[in-house]
This record gives sequence, C-alpha cells and structure tokens, in this order.
Amino acid sequence: MTQTQSTARRRLFSIAAGTATAALVLAGCGTSGDLDVGGEFTGTYDGPDIELDYWNGFTGGDGPFMQEMVDRFNEEHDNITVVSNTIPWGDFYQALPAALTAGEGPDVAVMHLDQLASFAARQLLLPLDDLTDQLGLSADDFTEEVWSAAEYDGARYGIPLDVHSLAMYYNTEHFEAAGIDEVPTDAESFRAALDALQEAGYDTPFWMPSRWPSHLMNLTLQWQFGGSPYGDAGEEAQFDSEAGLEALAWQRSIIEDGYSPADVAIDTQYVAFKNGETSITWDGIWQINDLEASGLPYAAAPVPTIGDSPAVWANSHNFVIPTQRTSDENSVNAARVFVAWMSEQSGTWAGSGMIPARDSVRSSGVLDDTTQGAIAEQIESMRFLPPVPGIGAVQAETLEIAVADGVLGTRTPDAAMTEATRSANQLLEENRATFGE
Amino acid sequence: MTATRSTPARPGSEHEAAGHPIPRRRPLSKAAIAGRVLRYAGLILLAAIYISPLVFMFLTSFKSGPDATSVPPTWIPDPWTTQAYETVFSATNTPVLRWFLNSMIAATLHAALVVVTAALAAYPLARMNFRGRSLILALVIGTLLVPPVILIVPSFLVVNELGWLNTLVAVIVPTAASAFGVFFLRQFFLSIPIELEEAAELDGANKWTTFTRVVLPLAKPALATLALLAFLTNWNDFLWPVYVLFSPDLQTLPAGLATLQSANAVRYDLLMAGAALASAPVLALFIFLQRYIIEGVARSGVKG
Amino acid sequence: MTATILPTRRPDGFSARPRGRRGSPLTPWLFLTPYLVLFTVFVIVPVVFGMWISLHAWDFTLPRRPFVGFDNYAKLFDPSSSTFEPFWASMRATGIFTVLSVPPLLIIPLAIALIMRANFPGRNLFRAIYFAPYVLGVAVVAVLWRYLLDNNIGLVNYYLGQLGLPDDIAWTTSTPGAWVALVWVTVWWTLGFNAVIYLAALQDIPAELYEAAKVDGASAWSQFIHVTLPGLRPILSFIAVITLIASANMFGQSYLMTQGAPGRETRTAIYQITETGLRGFRMGDASAMSFVLTFVLVILSAIVFIAFRQKREERA
Repeated sequence: MTQTQSTARRRLFSIAAGTATAALVLAGCGTSGDLDVGGEFTGTYDGPDIELDYWNGFTGGDGPFMQEMVDRFNEEHDNITVVSNTIPWGDFYQALPAALTAGEGPDVAVMHLDQLASFAARQLLLPLDDLTDQLGLSADDFTEEVWSAAEYDGARYGIPLDVHSLAMYYNTEHFEAAGIDEVPTDAESFRAALDALQEAGYDTPFWMPSRWPSHLMNLTLQWQFGGSPYGDAGEEAQFDSEAGLEALAWQRSIIEDGYSPADVAIDTQYVAFKNGETSITWDGIWQINDLEASGLPYAAAPVPTIGDSPAVWANSHNFVIPTQRTSDENSVNAARVFVAWMSEQSGTWAGSGMIPARDSVRSSGVLDDTTQGAIAEQIESMRFLPPVPGIGAVQAETLEIAVADGVLGTRTPDAAMTEATRSANQLLEENRATFGE
Repeated sequence: MTATRSTPARPGSEHEAAGHPIPRRRPLSKAAIAGRVLRYAGLILLAAIYISPLVFMFLTSFKSGPDATSVPPTWIPDPWTTQAYETVFSATNTPVLRWFLNSMIAATLHAALVVVTAALAAYPLARMNFRGRSLILALVIGTLLVPPVILIVPSFLVVNELGWLNTLVAVIVPTAASAFGVFFLRQFFLSIPIELEEAAELDGANKWTTFTRVVLPLAKPALATLALLAFLTNWNDFLWPVYVLFSPDLQTLPAGLATLQSANAVRYDLLMAGAALASAPVLALFIFLQRYIIEGVARSGVKG
Repeated sequence: MTATILPTRRPDGFSARPRGRRGSPLTPWLFLTPYLVLFTVFVIVPVVFGMWISLHAWDFTLPRRPFVGFDNYAKLFDPSSSTFEPFWASMRATGIFTVLSVPPLLIIPLAIALIMRANFPGRNLFRAIYFAPYVLGVAVVAVLWRYLLDNNIGLVNYYLGQLGLPDDIAWTTSTPGAWVALVWVTVWWTLGFNAVIYLAALQDIPAELYEAAKVDGASAWSQFIHVTLPGLRPILSFIAVITLIASANMFGQSYLMTQGAPGRETRTAIYQITETGLRGFRMGDASAMSFVLTFVLVILSAIVFIAFRQKREERA
C-alpha cells in the first residue's frame, strides 16, 4: 500500500508538513537562491564518489520493488551510492520541508503529483526542464494529463514514475454465485450486477463510504458526467455544476436504493470487502498487494462509466530534486543520473501494483498477467487534479465535506455542493492572493 | 492527612466516618455476608467491564489479520500468533527497539526537567513574599487557558533557531515549561506544615538547605506524581515529534508506530499490536508508581 | 489568585500564607530562573508571536506576509467571510461536546471516588483499574475505540445486539451517535484523574461531621447532601475548571475517531484551528480563532470561579 487508506493519518501528516514548510521560510532559510545549482547537465556523472540521500514513502508492499531498483542502480554505477530513506507518506510531506530547513534534506525524492505545485510554489523544488531536454523525455512517452500536471508556472518539477488510479474490485465468488459473466462497464450493467448480487443473497453488494476514498469516487464521477471540478485550469471550483450534482446524487442513490448500508464507518467498506461481506468496492490500485496477500477470491477491473464518458481519478509518483542548502553541482548531477535511470528502468516497478508512467515501459510487456494490467489499458481516461498550489487543503475543507454530507444524506447534493463551491472559490481566491498570481 | 485508615472499615460503608476503627470485628450475619459478596461481585463486574477494552487490545494483538476483523467479533485469538508483532518488528525502516530507546530517553529526561524546574519555581511561589509573585502566578496559570495548538508553529521556529531540529532535545525541552507542574507543586508545598521549615531556619538553614533537606523529601509523592504525568505526556505525544524529528532513527515510539500504522489502516491486528507496544511501558510504569499517584494527588493540587 | 480559589482548609485553622523573610531579595528569582527561562522562550514568546501572527495574512512558507490589522478577527464576525462558517460551526461542536462531557466527568468520578474511599481488600487494585486508561495516549485510545465502535466488526454493536438493543448505530459517522461515542470515550479515558482528586478531597472531610450527622439520624443520602457535598465544594470549582478547559480543547478524539464526521459536525474548534493553520497554511486566521477561543475560555472559567465562590460566601 503506497497510499494510506486513512484520511485521518493523511491529514495529520499534511498538517505537519504544512507547518514545517511554512516555518522554514519564515525562519529566513528560504532556498530560492539555490535554484540554479547544478549547472549544465551532461547526462552522465563522472565526478568523485558520491552518496545520494533518497527519500520516498514506499512503506508497503511496494517497498521491496523500489529497493530492488535502487540496488541495481548502485551496482551499475560505481561512483554513485544511493541510500534510501523510507518514510511513510504522511510523515514524508512533513519531514521533507523540515529536513531541508535543517540542511539535512535528501538529494532526490519521490512525491505525489498533486503535491508538486504546492511544493514548487514554495520554492522547495528544482525545475527539471534541462533534465527532460537532455533525456529527450517529452509528452510523447507519457499521457498528456500526467505530463502536464507536473508543470507549474511554466517549469517542470517532476518526472513521473507511475500512475495509480481507482479501480473496481469485485469478489469473484459472489459474481459467480450471482451468475454475472460480464464485468459491468456502465451505469446500466453496474445496476444490473448489483441487483443480481442482491438476488443471490448478497444484500449490500456495494458499500458506499462517506470519507476516503469517497471524494475520489466523486471526482471520478464528476469527470465522467462531463464536469470539470476545478475548471479547466484549476481556477474555479465547479462542484455545483450539473455533473457535480449528478455525481453526488448517484453516490447517495446507492444507499437509498439499498445497495449499501447507510453510515458506513471510516475504512469499513474495505474491511467488509476483505471479509466477503460486500461484493464490490472502488479503491486504489495500491490495494492490490494487500488483497493478493489476503487470499480473497477477487479481481480488478476499470471503474465502470456511470456517466457519459470514461474517466477515473488518478495520481502519480514523481521524482523530484529538492532545493537544498547543501546541494552542490555534483550531488544535483548525480541525482539527475539517478532519476533518468529510474525512469528508464521503471518496469520492475510494475511488481508493486502500480502502472509505469512511460508508454515505452508499459508496452514492454511488464504488465502482462498483472492485476493492474486491465486498469492500465484505461490510462487515457485517467484524470489528475490540476497543478494548483494548496489544492489539497481546499479539497479537504470543501469537497470532502460536501461529499460526506451528501452520501450520509444530511444535506441534499445541491445544498452541499453549492456551499462547498462557494467556500472553495473563496479559498482559491485567497490562495491566489497568497501565492501572488 | 486528616483521615488515615489503618483499620478496615466495612465494605460499602462509603459514608461512614473514616479513621474510626471499628472496635473488634464481630462475626457477620449471613445476610451481611451475602451483601458483601454481592457488592464485591458488582465491583468486580464493573471493573472488568471498565478494563475490558485494554484486555481486548492485548488479545487482538495476538490474532491473525482476518481473525481481528471477523464478524461477529471474538475474544480469544484463533489461532494465537505473534505474526502482528513480527510484522511490526520486521518492517523495513521501522527500528522499533531504537524508537523505544528514544522514547525512554526523551520521556525520562523530560520528566526530570519538568520536576526540577517546576519544583524550584513552585517553592518561592508558595513560601516567599516578593514583588512580582502574583504576577508570575497569574501568568503561569493564565497560560493554561491558551490552546496549546497555537504554540506549535512559533515553537517550531524557536527550536529551529536553536538548531535543535532533528535531535531528541527538540522533544525534551520545549514542552517542559509546565504551568500545571508549577501550580500542582505549589499547592502541595502549601500543604506542608510551615513549622518544619521554620524550625530548620531557626537552626540556621538557608532557603536552599530548607528546600532540599526539608521540603523536597516531604514532597516525594507529589514529585513522583508530576514525574509520572510528565513522562506520560511526553511518551504519548504524537503531534510534536512528527514536526521536529525526521530521521527514522530518531522517531519516538508512538509517533513511529503511528507512521507504521498509516500504511496499514485497516489491519487491526497490526494496529492493536502497535497500540499494545506503545501502551505496555506506560502501563507498567503506572502499576509500579500507582500508590504514589494517589497520595501525590491526594495532598496537592486540590488542597491548601 | 489560587490562594483564593483554593483556600487553605487545615484543621488547625493555620493559614499557609507565604511568609518570606530573611534571605536576599534575589533568592526567589534564583529559584525561579530555570523555569522562567523555559517559560519565556517556549510559552511567552510563542504566545506573543501568535498574537502578532494573528494580525497578518500569514502563510509562513512565503516571503510575503502582509499586515492586515484586525481583519482576521473581523472576518470571524462577518458571515460572508471564508472563516465565519467553519469557525462558528466548530465552536458549536466544542460547545456541544463541553456541555455533554463536563457533567458526566464531574458526576461519575465522584461516584467512583465514593465507592473507592471505603477500605476493603483489593481497593488499590480497583483504583488502579479506573486510573489505568488515563496513562494511554489519545492515539492509542482513539484507534482502540474506533475498532470497538466500528458498526460492522466492533464489539460494542455486537453486544448491543446480543442484549436485544439496536446493533446498527453508526458511532463514528452519525449524530447523536458520534457525540455519545466521543463523550463516552473521553469519560472512559480521563475519569480516573478526576476520581483521584475527589478521593483526596473526600479523605479530607473531617470524620466528626459524619459522626454528628449519624447521631442526628441522617440517612446515607442526607449525609451525602449535608456533609459530603459541602465538604467537596472548594475543590469542585477546581475540577470543574480543569474539566471545562480539557473538554474545550478536545481534538484528538474527534480527529482520529470521527474525522469530524458526519460532515463537520464533530469538528471541534481546536480541530478547525489545526486544519486552517497547519494544513491550510492560514496561520493568521488560525491564530485569530485561537485567541477568540481563549477569550471565551477565560470568561467561562471566571464565571465558574465566581459562581462557586458566591455559593461559599452565601453559606458563610
């Protein structure tokens, strides 16, 4: 599990991250002056032996695959030794800025795509455009969405390693018992499957959570219904558009139509799925290794298209080079070599349950016979949050609450989304002022 | 203490005068015995219910993953397994023993610092007349009303300025200015008969000698109580360490375990094993010190 | 201040008012120095700094942190601002929790203290049991109870079902269930501390008073009303205030158990301040919220003190 399920923990650590980041600039340790460090990148590193501190958050089943890649890199590079420091994601987003402040930050790191803009706006990352130029990396080898979401203010800050989206997991025994031969792919067949499952005695086949990952389901549905939750450029919240309302109404209808119990407690839908108490759940592909280990008879399929066109929420792990008071040309260049190599070799990474970001790697056969292979085929329909600094906090304060209220039925979709949109726009407006756009 | 009870009072006679020995125990009637048994049974039942969540936590930590989330829930692990603990101890980048050591060092030094500074400060506030005394007292008590959450960011900046980031000092010192500790010890010192100190001073002892030779020995229960409370606070803190310690080797146990758990949010076997690991040391310490706590609180804080 | 709050009640009528004499005027300050250094650097400075922050649009990750005067405070009283709704909703949640949790935290520990004051074999063990949860951290308490209160796999609903009661209450995602859960967990967790303080105070009530009451033929209940309660009155204000402050600062339980659910109904003021300031980087707003909350707490504490003091004076 590369990504924790619990919103509480995520939130906790984001808070911590925020404070720490904030503090370092306040304390006069701003790192903006160091952005040019590294000079011209030549594609190789032939300086003196160097040790690179490499931070990532791969604490789960993905950890060993990352370590394997790092070990191979070290074997192939005599003068560079990469030392991994694995910190759970929640902590990571707090530890990174704090460590940079104290001059003990890493030389290279991996972070989530939707965090890039916030970190970049706070001048904690080095632009990587010269690296992509040198490597000849371009949008051609990536999908447009993931490629452009790693850009902020005209510069590129991340090199995508993988993409990971929501998927539909289903219990194969239940499906068999209900006589479902074809995996549902749209609203109609999804309902039909739910009805068949109920008839086969599975009373609540699809538990609808109100918190994590409910807002990710909601974003997915909004996109499917043709909505644009944050406008085309992330400039304006539009949760109260027709698509937004339809998305939330659909989530609520799952409960009202009796497919899900009301008031599903935090994380319970996943536990229930693992226990065989519910037949279908939508969750991230990072759960694949956990489900494999559980021995549950399950399979994964793309999230069905409930709305008008296929779309699914996704995120991506990106390599970044943080600004570091202690950085010198050697460490930055060695870090670039590392990033370039890892990006090329990301095939091993498929073992972690993730989908390699590069077309060239995906088409090399590494996804054959993997659970996520079927999901990977939908890569063109994966959608990412726009690169807007502070979007995570806006989302948590507005959309997540509106979705929770709507799913629990304490407010109508209309009331919940209207209020959330109003305050999201207020917050976005204030953020723009803060970040000086 | 005004009420010492060296002789047992009759159980259940809670409103009876304490401290008045019942002259010789008389043979009890059958009804009295039955009443006593009943009361005991009630007490034991209530206490058992009260403590059962903790028991459940420890039992669950010996379950397998699916067993921990079975429906309906069960008490006894089937089978018993130390799998959860093995996972916790073997996970990459989770040096649990190192965390344990860090926590022990930090909480112990923190408790010592709190007790020493609070005792030193509480003594003049209890026993000396000087200009500014009430102002300081008011300031110290007033800060108890300020929500601690707003101190986090400014304190982080101070710690950074001092160069303490990513060192254990950062979790030992900044939270040691305990307003509660000063208040608590001052109340206790006030309860000590002043004659003892006056006698010492008549014998020519100065304030320091009086403090160390007379007051502190008498205040042992309160000092032990404060030490335990400070230890607990420091041990259990899960927000502040995450801000100031970022090397995996420097994590404290509860903060470290919390991060380990973040990757396993629904693995209740692992969560309970982590919770048990974080709780066992403080529970043990408490059992060891519990009689001091009762006495310590009994004679301070609430009494003049 | 405390001298009047917590009057000395020594049996010999001896006043414990400090009587310093002799010694250099510097002596008290020498004693105070180590604490005052810590207190200044890690309490006073941060508090003053917090006040200063509250006068700015303060995103500390950015070099630009413009001075805005009292705007952050004004926003809290302007219904159309971005902070009005979340803040007052969270104050409401804090108010609900405080009103619901303070009475049980005052009453149940008293009942336990009354039972535990009697001397019977094993008393220490029972006392230890009731105090034990207090030594746990909120992180442990919250994860444990989230598990127990899970409406699917949790023990609580299972036993409710066994007893023929509704077994489908969503303790963490619906009100009033979530309030019941939060109050219960807080009572379970912290009851021992108040109980120990009560126990101490009970031991201090002169036995003669009970003797006299018994001679007058007073029942146990009447003894409780006429002897025990008046004897406890001085510490009641202390317990009431510390409980009030603790409840008003509740954060960890809702943060880790309910995540403020449903919606943001159980998101308390501290929770909101944390979200705004530490996650949202809007420390100016968060500081202003903190000081408004502090102000409310000061007023409430003063009211509690005055209320108890007046009662005492009436009695006298």
